[in-house]
Amino acid sequence: MSLSPGLGSPFPWLRDLQPEERGLCLIQLLHACANHVAAGSVENANVGLGHISHLASPDGDTMQRIAAYFTEALADRMLKVWPGLYKALNSTKTRSPSEEIIVQKLFFELCPFLKLSYVITNQAIVEAMEGEKMIHIIDLHSFEPAQWIELLRTLSARPEGPPHLRITGIHEQKEVLDQMGARLVEEAEKLDIPFQFNSIVSKLENLDLERLRVKTGEALAVSSVLQLHSLLATDEAEVVGRVSPSAPASKSASHNNHIQKFMQMNQHQKTLGEWLEKDVVHYHCSSPDSALSPLSLAPSPNMGTFLGAFWALSPKIMVVTEQESDHNGYSLTERVSEAMNFYAALFDCLESSTDPRASLERQKVEKMLFGKEIKNIIACEGNERRERHEKLEKWILRLELAGFGRVPLSYDGMWQANRLLQSYNYGGYKIKDKKGCLLICWHDRPLYSISAWRHRRQ
Amino acid sequence: MATSSSSSVPFFGMGREEVDEQMKQQSAAIGVGVGVGGLHHHHHPHLHHHQLLQHSSSLLSNSQLTTAGAQQPPPPLSAASSAAGSGPPQPKKKRNQPGNPNPDAEVIALSPKTLMATNRFICEVCNKGFQREQNLQLHRRGHNLPWKLKQKNKNEVVKRKVYLCPEPTCVHHEASRALGDLTGIKKHYSRKHGEKKWKCDKCAKRYAVQSDWKAHSKTCGTREYRCDCGTLFSRRDSFITHRAFCDALAQESARNPTPSHFFTGAANNMTLGISSSTAADILRLGGSTGQFDHLLPPPPSLGAAGGGSSTTTATSQQQFRNQPHLSPSSAAFFMPQQDTSDHHQSSYHQPFHHALMQQFSSDPNNAGGAAANQLFNLGFDSTTTNNNNSNMTLFANNNNHSGGDHQHQMMMMGSSTGGSVPLFSSSVHQQQMNNMVAHMSATALLQKAAQMGSTTSSNPNATTSASLLRSAFAAGPNNNNNQKSSSGEKQPSLGTFGGSFFGDVDTDNGSSNNLHDLMNSFTAAANNNNNNNGSSSSSNNKKLTRDFLGVGHVAAAVRGIATTISQQQQQVGAALERSSSLDSERNNNNSMGSHSSFGGNPSFQ
Repeated sequence: MSLSPGLGSPFPWLRDLQPEERGLCLIQLLHACANHVAAGSVENANVGLGHISHLASPDGDTMQRIAAYFTEALADRMLKVWPGLYKALNSTKTRSPSEEIIVQKLFFELCPFLKLSYVITNQAIVEAMEGEKMIHIIDLHSFEPAQWIELLRTLSARPEGPPHLRITGIHEQKEVLDQMGARLVEEAEKLDIPFQFNSIVSKLENLDLERLRVKTGEALAVSSVLQLHSLLATDEAEVVGRVSPSAPASKSASHNNHIQKFMQMNQHQKTLGEWLEKDVVHYHCSSPDSALSPLSLAPSPNMGTFLGAFWALSPKIMVVTEQESDHNGYSLTERVSEAMNFYAALFDCLESSTDPRASLERQKVEKMLFGKEIKNIIACEGNERRERHEKLEKWILRLELAGFGRVPLSYDGMWQANRLLQSYNYGGYKIKDKKGCLLICWHDRPLYSISAWRHRRQ
Repeated sequence: MATSSSSSVPFFGMGREEVDEQMKQQSAAIGVGVGVGGLHHHHHPHLHHHQLLQHSSSLLSNSQLTTAGAQQPPPPLSAASSAAGSGPPQPKKKRNQPGNPNPDAEVIALSPKTLMATNRFICEVCNKGFQREQNLQLHRRGHNLPWKLKQKNKNEVVKRKVYLCPEPTCVHHEASRALGDLTGIKKHYSRKHGEKKWKCDKCAKRYAVQSDWKAHSKTCGTREYRCDCGTLFSRRDSFITHRAFCDALAQESARNPTPSHFFTGAANNMTLGISSSTAADILRLGGSTGQFDHLLPPPPSLGAAGGGSSTTTATSQQQFRNQPHLSPSSAAFFMPQQDTSDHHQSSYHQPFHHALMQQFSSDPNNAGGAAANQLFNLGFDSTTTNNNNSNMTLFANNNNHSGGDHQHQMMMMGSSTGGSVPLFSSSVHQQQMNNMVAHMSATALLQKAAQMGSTTSSNPNATTSASLLRSAFAAGPNNNNNQKSSSGEKQPSLGTFGGSFFGDVDTDNGSSNNLHDLMNSFTAAANNNNNNNGSSSSSNNKKLTRDFLGVGHVAAAVRGIATTISQQQQQVGAALERSSSLDSERNNNNSMGSHSSFGGNPSFQ
């Protein structure tokens, strides 16, 4: 006999729960389940997941949706105890980068976050670059031309005339960069701005600084939108290898070699990585020599070397957008509850901003962006775990440690961001100023932080 | 109409303008030229875009000439006369509604072979085939052969002909739903029942009709959909997404005009000058784009659309006018599809989207599948709000149906079936969605859960984080097998759901039995005095049912949920009404309970 005959749940009362009760029930169940998963009690977790499955649904209300993705992530994690099983189940799963890009685009369209980030970033760049004749912008994740088109327009309207502009885009997909370049060149021609697009097909962690071709005399700007946290993963490569040896590496073999090489080569960096993982208090007593060793970017740079290298390029401005949440803890249960809070707000955003007619897109974003991130946060360990979101305070410490000085974001940027929200009729979002950085909030919950930095002479 | 107001805005220079012009013409041709051809528009909105894509839909009327069965009366129609005949005399005349062909019309049924026959008229000299005799006649002229174009016999009363789809399962197989022109039925037959032989090289689309394919190939990757607000999209899905916002925005901005003067006033200031232009851009993008676009080209419309906005709006208008090359491009900002679509669409957007659509509509559970199709065709119907409306009602109907089918209608009481209809969900989910009347955001729920977590921790029974749940579910302890064995046979019923989900289960039982026991505790009655609902145990079925509901009360109270009593009462009432179904459920549970206890407690039966 099956537990779920025919019409779904064998427990009609589960179905008849009021949404609110159901939501609370789901939260309880999820927490309990996370505890079981964390404790490694597979059977209990299994039963828990079974119960949740009666209540969760990827197209129900927000809590049901969230629960669906969290259960998937928890199950994924449990399954990794049996690497063979896990691999077999995922053996036909194809990763489609193009699909990922589409989802990014949808996220850009459906939620105001990226738009806000771009507007604020651009404003900070424009302000920092006032009077500059040669501007070089490095875009750490170059997939959305809109950001730079807007900048091109703003720069073309500069009273002192447009500068010579070079944008270096970094992305894993050559096609994306090609399109980006073509689009930007076209726009620049239209606006009659001397423009050059330099594309680097690379993962961020494998970035070869030489290819950035930063020249003397040009004013450098760096834009990082939701990118830096992924670099925290390589920091931890060995540490985690110790913690969960059973975690299967689903990365490519070459990548694994890479990591091993990195671990052999950079023993001292491992300790830095550990530092960065540990309590922020330690930061101050550490002497960040290794973090600041410039231009010696290891094949797999960790955060310290990466920031150090960029510091050495002495950017006039570096604008960093990051998720404002702590998804980089060691404890799974902490991560689960942090992620639950964070993604609950994001799902609520989507719920509020999308018309039901757009629910296909919405579901895509939920599944392929948020769901994937949730899975990464919960199910992955070690180098596999890329979504290591951290809160602004940590970023401030980390960046200051790397020799950057904070540039307070101007009122203009905030004002423009607010205008954007108004013009899109986005309700419920707020922009808050925090120590010169901006927080994009959904109601009172900060979701993204934007901070601006510059090279600070030591 | 929507098109007329928006299409006059220059966008992306002449090339696009021409495309728009073309589009407009096409849609005009459909609207006016092909009265009969448009017959099925309402019923099959998905055909609409095919027709829209046809380059000259007036060609349709040519097809009325020949190629019917034996019963076809001789009088031929010239293209012009047929256009005049089938085209509506007044421009405002409504199209024939589907299923309402002219009752006088002659119904013609063709075999698939006849229908699909091409080039039936062969030139005896060069063997070239023609689809229409008139064309052959014209061709014969080139060979200096005698030729004669058929003339319309003025004396003859031209009888309208309607055509049946040869596919017996098709709705257009019915005489009452016959389609009004031969080409139309041909294309219908190919599209709906034929093989899609024509594949686009650039994207994954396939077409059964060559002309559809041609039309698509010409525009694949370049096609743009224009929103009333003037924004262009090359992908339907992004267009639809945009529409979702734009509609809301249009309504919103109709009520309170955007304070555009806010920044234009500061244009003199240097820095603000910069920010003002960007802000203007942003404003445009935002979909208040629409406002500007409406305001832009014809000055008179400024007064009308702008309504209360003051002279500052006029300055902004002028600003935009003076830099016409800026305004279109600025609209592109944050409308990324537009920027990249040319490249993206061909490479992957379309195929993926397509696949996804198919996935959705082929989902057997998917009550909204049809609606989804409608939705996506909506993209092509952007110009007519009429179609919007019809689609919306369609959704609503869908919803009502699924609701009606559902067993638990009472749960839907008071729920609105309005705009918030989930498209891609099964009926169960629709119900769930409808339950969202008293919707709480996930954030709020989490907060509440956190608060409750602190309150329930003071509960002596609460030992694990699942305790709340357990108490809510009338937790059955791990030894419920024993208890069960001591109670009556009718015990395992709906009565209570022993809900000791986690934690203390594995104390008494071997781990191999855990799952089973958990199930037991969940489904079978937990008859014990330790839990909150100790009083619930009884061997009486009816009593147990009540207890179940009682549990609901207690649970709600324990959880501190402000579920109104009346709701609960409603549930009670409904539950009693459904006593028969409850009985069956109980029986199910009975068997389930006995089954599940079978492993752990053989003495049970």
